[in-house]
Amino acid sequence: MTGKNHAPEPLPGRLPRPRSGPLAGIRLADFCWMGVGSIATRFLGDFGAEVIKIENRQRIDTPRRLPIYKGVVRSYGEEDPNPDPDKGGLHNNYSRNKLGITVDMRQPEGQALVDELIRKSSVVTENFAPGVMERWGLTYERLQELSPDVIFARMSGFGHSGPYESYRSYGPVVQAACGLSFISGLPGQPPSGWGFSYMDNQAAYHNSAALLMAIYNRMLTGRGTEIDVSAVEAGIGLLGPVFLEASVNGRVTRAERYPTGNRPEHPKAAPHGVYPAAGEDRWIAIAAFDEADWVALTDAMERPGLRDDPRFATLDDRIANADALDAKIAAWTQTQDPHAATELLQGAGVCAGTVQNARDLNEIDPQLAHRGIFFELDHPVIGEARFEGEPMLFSRTKPDNWRSAPLLGEDNRYVYREILGMPDDMIDEYAERGII
Amino acid sequence: MADPVPFAHLKIVELSSDPAGEMLGKYFAGMGAGVAKLEPEGGAASRAVGPYRSGAEGPNDSLNFWFYNANKRSVTADLGTASGKDRLGRLMADADIVISGFQPRELRSLGLDWDAVASAHPRLIIVSVTPFGLTGPWADRRSSELVALALGGPLHMCGYDDHGIPPILPGGNQAYNTAAIFAYKAALLVLIDREQTGSGQLVDISMHEACAVTVELGNPYWFYSRAIVQRQTCRHAQPVMTQPAIFECADGRYVFLALMLSEQKPWQALVEWIDSHGMAGHLTEPEFSEYAYRQARYSEVQAIVECFFLVIDADTAFQEGQGRGLPVGMINSPEELLSDPHLNARDFFVEVDHGAAGTFRYPGPPYQFSAFSAAPAGRAPMLGEHDDKA
Repeated sequence: MTGKNHAPEPLPGRLPRPRSGPLAGIRLADFCWMGVGSIATRFLGDFGAEVIKIENRQRIDTPRRLPIYKGVVRSYGEEDPNPDPDKGGLHNNYSRNKLGITVDMRQPEGQALVDELIRKSSVVTENFAPGVMERWGLTYERLQELSPDVIFARMSGFGHSGPYESYRSYGPVVQAACGLSFISGLPGQPPSGWGFSYMDNQAAYHNSAALLMAIYNRMLTGRGTEIDVSAVEAGIGLLGPVFLEASVNGRVTRAERYPTGNRPEHPKAAPHGVYPAAGEDRWIAIAAFDEADWVALTDAMERPGLRDDPRFATLDDRIANADALDAKIAAWTQTQDPHAATELLQGAGVCAGTVQNARDLNEIDPQLAHRGIFFELDHPVIGEARFEGEPMLFSRTKPDNWRSAPLLGEDNRYVYREILGMPDDMIDEYAERGII
Repeated sequence: MADPVPFAHLKIVELSSDPAGEMLGKYFAGMGAGVAKLEPEGGAASRAVGPYRSGAEGPNDSLNFWFYNANKRSVTADLGTASGKDRLGRLMADADIVISGFQPRELRSLGLDWDAVASAHPRLIIVSVTPFGLTGPWADRRSSELVALALGGPLHMCGYDDHGIPPILPGGNQAYNTAAIFAYKAALLVLIDREQTGSGQLVDISMHEACAVTVELGNPYWFYSRAIVQRQTCRHAQPVMTQPAIFECADGRYVFLALMLSEQKPWQALVEWIDSHGMAGHLTEPEFSEYAYRQARYSEVQAIVECFFLVIDADTAFQEGQGRGLPVGMINSPEELLSDPHLNARDFFVEVDHGAAGTFRYPGPPYQFSAFSAAPAGRAPMLGEHDDKA
């Protein structure tokens, strides 16, 4: 590959410009990759921070490689052996509003470039396996020498101490280790757990929050900090009251028919379940917590006679006879369109909702459309694409969605020339030698 | 605990009784903010939700309330009365942040208007965390944990390979938790903004929207491939069905391991590991080092791996697998976490003194900072415990 390709002039309309938002003026030297790290720093970029994603041409980031491509349906284990790193939709979704540079950290000139970038940054972020940053000498002590009052965020599965420090993890492993998989499923069956890396999202959200806490604290005190977030520990904090049943009451969930699927033990409710609707794999969730809900539901279903059945007389009766009750509810729901039944039941004041898939969210849901959660940006290789926005509306603050995700090394020329002050001929030489 | 907590100067009023608003208050209280939870005389609705401490059932013994309200203060006020409104007004006049769980119709019936409150208190930050947000056609609709995960998209992706079984609710109030962490991030952004502008803002968080962007591959597969992912037992929902990834062990517990046949190094590590137990059979034959060959014999590989896990216990599988660099996850139950050597080496759990009821372990903070520490772990308040000081 020629040096020109490694350090192109900025494309028209994609030149980085000053950002707006509460984090404008904060620059991140961002070593994050994969899911957790990319989602964590995306939030800061969305609200004005200048996030400079540092990439390695020898080890292309997984979201760039996963085969989520326009017009192609392939599962994420079936990646192209030689993929175009600029075509991946997951990377586009995770790294919009970031700048992208490449550097080879095995070459001393590459390490020197990163040192210079850290000198010009006030936040450094990473989610490598433990030991990688240390191998490059990039400890918190060293970072403080380069950038006094720096914030150094370290995101990992098990945290940066303890006997499992070096253990490998990704979303499903974290969900298993923290208990979230175990508490999800039908009694007497293997856990159904999670159909996605929920803890990649949640660990990322907690990492974003920790970064904001550190930035706020630095505004007040002038002091930076090192941050250690263990995804497993963040997950344990999300277990809820069942954790206290173990620690306070000594409950042994492993010895019981637990968990209880769509009929949770608390708060009390019946009917409470996911019922078949008309159509292929279509379902509707219904939750009735008290007598008023029961009356409203049976009236809306035009089955008031169910209230005369002694098996369903009180909430406790309905819970005790949940199998028979669910059969009655399902007999009604299975003839209903899920969206129409949701309208009918919500109109009657019943807590109910279609089990929506991504098409429903994007094409049908009027609430999401009204609030504008999804947005579009153009991309030089992918073209126009849709993005998940940040689910929050403010009086004044708005996300600054200035650009889709960077092409591999797209901002080399801009960052090395405009931020680090390197002359063009030196950038060309570094590109020729594969340092960038 | 000598280090300063970052939020010690912040005063927060909490008007919420669902886990979303309560978890938001808990995030702040855990880092030292003073959080006054305003409750009706009979107690917040969350005090009437189980489970309860063994042998006790009352507003001060709900473990649901304990979990979500640690480190807060309890002040009673009936917002339907003039004196209750007066108490809220005085608390808000002195507050940095108000957390509200009221939907628009409830706000109207209480005579609360956030725009008017914001005008009267320009530095005040109002964080509204509701099922659907304060605007839009569904703003006053009902929701719950199950219904929020259904409408938001996550539930569609969770369940079993057998699609005759409905999607199954994941545990632990995760729709509320997802709303809470987005609300926390938004509140922190507004605190940072207030340091620069001097002004607060109204923040409008919708649990529905928070769930709709917390589906990992679900939306991107629709954005790019127009594909709807299919739920699969305890592994990623994908456009097509894939091989099982949880394995039962000799002790009846399960481990998670995704067999990535395409990658050579983990494949070799797996075969060497199984061979060390004398169970690899013909997987050690040279043909299996070819990806295409083993891919074509996937079901044979799967059968050998299933047999292998059935003869070792889950802890052995976790430790030995991880020792060989394989991402094996042990599916822990909540009670097993309490004796986990790694978590205890990190001093993750904190002791919380509940007076006569005893001292109990809670999860510690989800983040650690070198420059400052969390607040000392405190218990949830008794109903009206801090009325005198209000």
